[in-house]
Amino acid sequence: MIDRTEASKYLVGKLKDELVVTSLGNEKYDLRSGGERDRNFYNWNAMGMASSIGLGLAMARPELKVIVYDGDGSLLMNLGALATIALREPKNLIHIVWDNRSYAMTGGQPTATAYHTDLAAMARGAGYPKVERTETLEAFKSAADRALTEPGPWFIHCPMQEKPVKGGGLPSPTAIKHRFMDAIGARH
Amino acid sequence: MAWAESIVGALKKHNVRFLNYVPDTKIEKILQAARQLGGFEALPLTREEEGIGVVCGQSLGGGRGVMLCPTAGLGNSINALASLSIPYRIPCPIIIGVRGDLGEFNPAQVAMGQATQDILDALRIPTYSITREDEAEKITDGALRICYASEGPVAILVTNEVAGWKEGKAKT
Repeated sequence: MIDRTEASKYLVGKLKDELVVTSLGNEKYDLRSGGERDRNFYNWNAMGMASSIGLGLAMARPELKVIVYDGDGSLLMNLGALATIALREPKNLIHIVWDNRSYAMTGGQPTATAYHTDLAAMARGAGYPKVERTETLEAFKSAADRALTEPGPWFIHCPMQEKPVKGGGLPSPTAIKHRFMDAIGARH
Repeated sequence: MAWAESIVGALKKHNVRFLNYVPDTKIEKILQAARQLGGFEALPLTREEEGIGVVCGQSLGGGRGVMLCPTAGLGNSINALASLSIPYRIPCPIIIGVRGDLGEFNPAQVAMGQATQDILDALRIPTYSITREDEAEKITDGALRICYASEGPVAILVTNEVAGWKEGKAKT
């Protein structure tokens, strides 16, 4: 199983001008602990929306790679996004899903992936052209390296064991928005 | 349909490029007018909530998109509006084809159609109705202006008064 904190540190170390959109789960704190970036968009509570925000960003900014930092619970709430992303096929989208098989922020109740659901198979079935399932840190590094350089859309499914995350707390929603937009020179 | 052409003309004037939609007979008229005018990209969605995320993503990137859906679809979008567009102050124009109102044949459309204005009011979302063909351009233009000024969601209702109602099979 991959250690999400270690994997996040590796990924952040590789990033240059890429945009990252997080789900509302604990993965956002691991991403942030890997090093604060103006080009990270943190999600306070928009359930399931990370993948859809990422698609919109990828459409508006085709010259930039967009990474969605998603979780199993969040993706399960918005499974239709898999079909929509696959039909639009944004070559600059990398969809990373941290699968701890539980709702970690509400007491660890099991999600469907604790039973029979295979998210990588669902992404493949939806029509993502590049799907990887990474069980080790080395496999994650190799998939992330390829995704950062080769056209997608990519789906990287990362089964993991949840553990307590350090940190917590986020800037206000509007502070997150303005910092993010300023960093990429975007105006409404 | 002149009202649909007027709406699309106003969208173009405001540099809206992305038409993210869940279909409806009224929405199809707008998509047709957009195809005729050109310069838009239409994205079909599986569910309206997705569309709020997509429009917000486009806005964050400096692009401009709208969500197009029927009243039932507004019901599918509420938490995304309340947790994303509103608190982050992200412009999100929503063009809603009204169902469950004047002339409705489908009993299961009525409750949502009748609740639409109250739901939008409860979320303090500015809402404007197009009821006449000759005001479609002005209302769409004005709604987009306040949307980009206030940086939040704004709803435009395309009513049955202007666009007609859907003919369907009556109850047996």
